[in-house]
Amino acid sequence: MALIELKGINKTYNNGQPLHVLKGIDLQIERGEFVSIMGASGSGKSTLLNILGILDNYDSGSYHLDGTLIKDLTEKQAADYRNRMIGFIFQSFNLIGFKTAVENVELPLYYQGVPRKKRHELAMEYLDKMGLSPWAHHFPNEMSGGQKQRVAIARALITQPQIILADEPTGALDSKTSVEVMGLLKQLNKEDGITIIVVTHEGGVANETDKIIHIKDGMIGEIEENTRHDAWGGSIIK
Amino acid sequence: MRELFHEIGSTLRQNKLRTALTGLAVSWGIFLLITLLGAGNGLMNSFRGNMDQYVSQSISVEGWRTSKPYAGYKENRRIQLDQRDLEYTNGTQWEGTIENVISATASSSVKLTLEGRHADGWMQGQMPRQQEQDKLQMAAGRFLNDQDIREQRKVMVVSMAHANILSPGNPEALIGQWVNAGQIAFRVVGIYHTNEQDFRRSCPIPYSTYKRIYDRSDKVESITFTVDGLNSLEQHEAFENEYVGTLRRMHDVAPDDKRGIWVTNGYTENLQMNKAAGLLNTALWILGMLTLISGIVGVSNIMLITVKERTHEFGIRKAIGAKPGNILSLIITESVVITALFGYLGMLLGMLACQLLDKTVGQRGVNIGFETIHMMVNPSVDVNTALNATLLLIAAGTLAGMVPAWKAARVKPIEALRAE
Repeated sequence: MALIELKGINKTYNNGQPLHVLKGIDLQIERGEFVSIMGASGSGKSTLLNILGILDNYDSGSYHLDGTLIKDLTEKQAADYRNRMIGFIFQSFNLIGFKTAVENVELPLYYQGVPRKKRHELAMEYLDKMGLSPWAHHFPNEMSGGQKQRVAIARALITQPQIILADEPTGALDSKTSVEVMGLLKQLNKEDGITIIVVTHEGGVANETDKIIHIKDGMIGEIEENTRHDAWGGSIIK
Repeated sequence: MRELFHEIGSTLRQNKLRTALTGLAVSWGIFLLITLLGAGNGLMNSFRGNMDQYVSQSISVEGWRTSKPYAGYKENRRIQLDQRDLEYTNGTQWEGTIENVISATASSSVKLTLEGRHADGWMQGQMPRQQEQDKLQMAAGRFLNDQDIREQRKVMVVSMAHANILSPGNPEALIGQWVNAGQIAFRVVGIYHTNEQDFRRSCPIPYSTYKRIYDRSDKVESITFTVDGLNSLEQHEAFENEYVGTLRRMHDVAPDDKRGIWVTNGYTENLQMNKAAGLLNTALWILGMLTLISGIVGVSNIMLITVKERTHEFGIRKAIGAKPGNILSLIITESVVITALFGYLGMLLGMLACQLLDKTVGQRGVNIGFETIHMMVNPSVDVNTALNATLLLIAAGTLAGMVPAWKAARVKPIEALRAE
């Protein structure tokens, strides 16, 4: 069974007027894949990512994550799955402003009940991997965008999740930093075999991944194999 | 737990102004409560202390002057209690209710003389239990006893004021000496305490001795007794109506003439005082509670704003694995920590304020002629009450944090993340 298996996922938002955002999504993502989901704004890609990340629920269909059916979970169960199986990387980093880099990285382990000392050690290790050890005790507002995103990646990795979900991870970064961050994700995928799903609307970003899933009007369109990284004419980021 | 406090510590430090404002509201509330209660207690203590000198747990009746004409007599007639009244009081009708009956004679002005020194006083025939009734503290020797009464001894108890005049420098040496009271010599057996402002100058001698020497009639000046089994104002009223009513009939005093026979009821005075004290206490508690409530509303208010401000942060926490319970306990613990910390501070300050009151208002006495009255005596709140109030505040702080915390815990992570 695939790591992620979606069957006939439907999602409708009811904000005054019903809005059918996802119209029967079928999708399989295998362990170790490096995938991007591409689409215009309003295509439903963010909703799909939120469902994959158990941040939002779906109306019908089924979603299996590593063989577990993710449906009608209590908030507590959902939090537990998110904590153990999924690492998030956000466009706006979503670091907690009054916590230092290392404290931010520690936080997922805090919710696992890992003792303070061990937590700190692990967090330092992951920051070191990201080349950020000298910045461990700095607050987010003392760091550059690239550094912040690397802290966020360290935070996503620290629980050794099954998948990393990245929502426009380079959206707030300049092109040089974007290349660095995408390189980092690529490296994590190749060397550590972590499954990574990137949501983006930028062709350059999508081109860095091995498979591009196009989504349009709430339905899966073309799925491009991109192992040679020549989609979009092999365009570079931005 | 330590982790949780660490978390809270960092948020509190991050928001110093907010923390300080919330804390101020809480501290102020508990400070006012403690200070109010302390001042109230001080007032009540002073009230009680001042009353205690005059009020005792007994009932006493005296003949006075009528205030209205009755049964053919004109008003303003002097009523004199006598042996019949004493017998009635001691009668079987009141067995089990009236106890420890004592009587006293009229007091007559007397000049005490010893070795050319003179002191003025009021000689009165009394019973041994009168000491308790008049709250006389012996400085030396003893008060009258039963044997003095039985043997009609010529013994006398004098005040320290008398002793200082008659035996200057060594007042205790007066014990055992024979002092001339008018034409007759009495042996001094005891000296009772008086202070400079004390107006008491009575010289008690045995009731029987007074009767034999000065007054062979059956007149009785006052009758004093304790009662048993009367617990409420209503019961006392009923008792007074019947007992004093009979005395009024015996002396042809109008049934509704309160002045003819004067009743001093220490029990009802105490009951009334307790009632007044209780009312004052309740009023203070209500006032204090209201201030506390404003403090709690302040905490609740600020917690609501805090939760709104931190919604995005809670979204992040949820995304990386915080359960609703984690968020709930984070906010509630923060609320409890703030109220506990600042509540405790307010409690300490309140107790300090009570001390300050004691040192200032408490030390200032008001001279009302024959003695000094203190506005406040020992204004303080016992530690239990203070702790209870603080615990109550902490409980309320929890409650105040509960509503916003519940809101924050229930918001969906995706919505929280969208909030800015």
